[in-house]
Amino acid sequence: MNRNYIFLTILMLVLAVGTLFLTGSDEPKQIAPEELLQEIIQPTRYVSTDQVAKMIIQGDPSLLMVDVRPAADYEEYALPGSLNIPLEELLNDGNLGYFGVPGVKVVFISNDDIAADQTWVLTKRLGIDGTYVMKGGLNCWMQTIIDPTQPDADAPSVDHELYAFRKGAQIYFTGAESATPEGDNVEVQVRRREKTSVAAGGC
Amino acid sequence: MSSDKTNIQEPKYINPYLGGVLLGLLIIVTVFITGRGLGASGAIKSAVVTTSNTIAPKATEANTYMCQFIGGDHSPMWTWLVFESLGVLLGGIISGIVFGRMKKFRTDHGPRITSKKRLVLALIGGALFGLGSQFGRGCTSGAALSGTATFALGGVIVMFAIFGTGYAVAYFFRKFWI
Amino acid sequence: MGPLIPNGIIGGGWDFVIAILIGVAFGFILEASGFSSSRNLAGVFYGYNFVVLRVFFTALIVAMVGLMYFDYVGWLNLSQIFVLPTFLTPMIVGGVIMGVGFVIGGFCPGTSFTGIAIGKLDAVFFAIGLYLGIFGFSLAFPLFEDFFTSGDMGNVTLMDITGIPASYFAVAFTVMALAAFWGTMFIEKRVRKNMKQYKF
Repeated sequence: MNRNYIFLTILMLVLAVGTLFLTGSDEPKQIAPEELLQEIIQPTRYVSTDQVAKMIIQGDPSLLMVDVRPAADYEEYALPGSLNIPLEELLNDGNLGYFGVPGVKVVFISNDDIAADQTWVLTKRLGIDGTYVMKGGLNCWMQTIIDPTQPDADAPSVDHELYAFRKGAQIYFTGAESATPEGDNVEVQVRRREKTSVAAGGC
Repeated sequence: MSSDKTNIQEPKYINPYLGGVLLGLLIIVTVFITGRGLGASGAIKSAVVTTSNTIAPKATEANTYMCQFIGGDHSPMWTWLVFESLGVLLGGIISGIVFGRMKKFRTDHGPRITSKKRLVLALIGGALFGLGSQFGRGCTSGAALSGTATFALGGVIVMFAIFGTGYAVAYFFRKFWI
Repeated sequence: MGPLIPNGIIGGGWDFVIAILIGVAFGFILEASGFSSSRNLAGVFYGYNFVVLRVFFTALIVAMVGLMYFDYVGWLNLSQIFVLPTFLTPMIVGGVIMGVGFVIGGFCPGTSFTGIAIGKLDAVFFAIGLYLGIFGFSLAFPLFEDFFTSGDMGNVTLMDITGIPASYFAVAFTVMALAAFWGTMFIEKRVRKNMKQYKF
């Protein structure tokens, strides 16, 4: 009897002391490199400036634009309704909560699309879905929406339709811009990911 | 370890450490499945609220404590703890059958008091325990055991308060038990 | 993965079925360990039967250590489980009252259910007492309403308060428990010398 108890005592002690060596789950969980590679080589993450413009004009509630440029650039010019999270601050407390909300499409925006792409890769590595990159970034935005080039007269009608859309968008954005108040950005409708569901309990 | 001279038949119980390990595993399983620990006093509370609501619904609603637990389209008995407690009854019956302890009604009492006195004391003890369990947000199973197992500060406080007080006052009630 | 039901892995409709099953296991373990008899329960305070200490403490350390391992292998997310809220003074007062009730009544709610299950009348009376006690509490509630919610510290864990990682607490409780087990083995031998029966 006593020998069994001694054995059990030691076993329990070993198990308990073992917990001291369990590393905490402080590191964010990351997806495997193979998965990441698969995701990177697919071009499905890109959305065009036209698509973004359309979603803004239509007031698509699932759109969340995240401007990853430095705050100074954001102050100077930013898309209406976009949120500023500079790339360096991406992993700060709480910022990751904006991503991965079911039903929300997060579109990363930068001047060209390099910083936005980097942000995308980072969030993808953390296993976050629902993220996109605006192809060409704000530079492309300027060239297509703010200052669209008129297609030649003999271009296919699709091009003309696109141009017409872009002209309309140009009016919307340049006209709307002057209406927005200086200084403060447009009220951003953001939905943070809810704190993970906590079970209810009691006595 | 019953001596041959006295014919006391000591009941068969499982090794307490085994019981403890099983109980600990049960707590893990419970937390794993439901995200909460075990409990017991909450079921009685639900019973109180339900009976009070059936007999005097307006007074129950007016009562600032009980009104929190009524409402919605279901009876206050429709809670996790009530079902768990019914299970406890069932489990006790099963174990009683397995180990041969299902007998006619009887009362345990210390050698120096009568059964009647024991029943009165049980009633008083129960009333005190019921009162305390509401302040403590649980009883030994819910607050002390499950609370401490999930590292809740409240659980540790309740656990030490219950057992500490028990040891402190045991001397004054020794006549009831030994 | 876990906890399963709050994460929707098991549908909410199974909630009560699982509750009953868990309860059955709980009741069985309690009764099989001897918790259905008040004299066994009171024994821990008088040194003739330490079954309460053994079962309770063993369960506690097994659960603590087990939960840590479950969290580590990712089966359970400890931040999603229910943590008992802390109301400092009311809980101390409640614990004190419960302690007195425990020694006088010889039961606690869960064990009284198992006692009722096997036909112990004192368990029945204890449960009736519970009912009356809670009912009385509700009626008298306006008197101490403010006190009831005082000292609210939220759903705080030991780690939140002290900043010490959970594993240290697991080890501390384990060491305390194991020491208590060996210590009480000696105490029992001495207290039981004059008792003919100590398992009731």
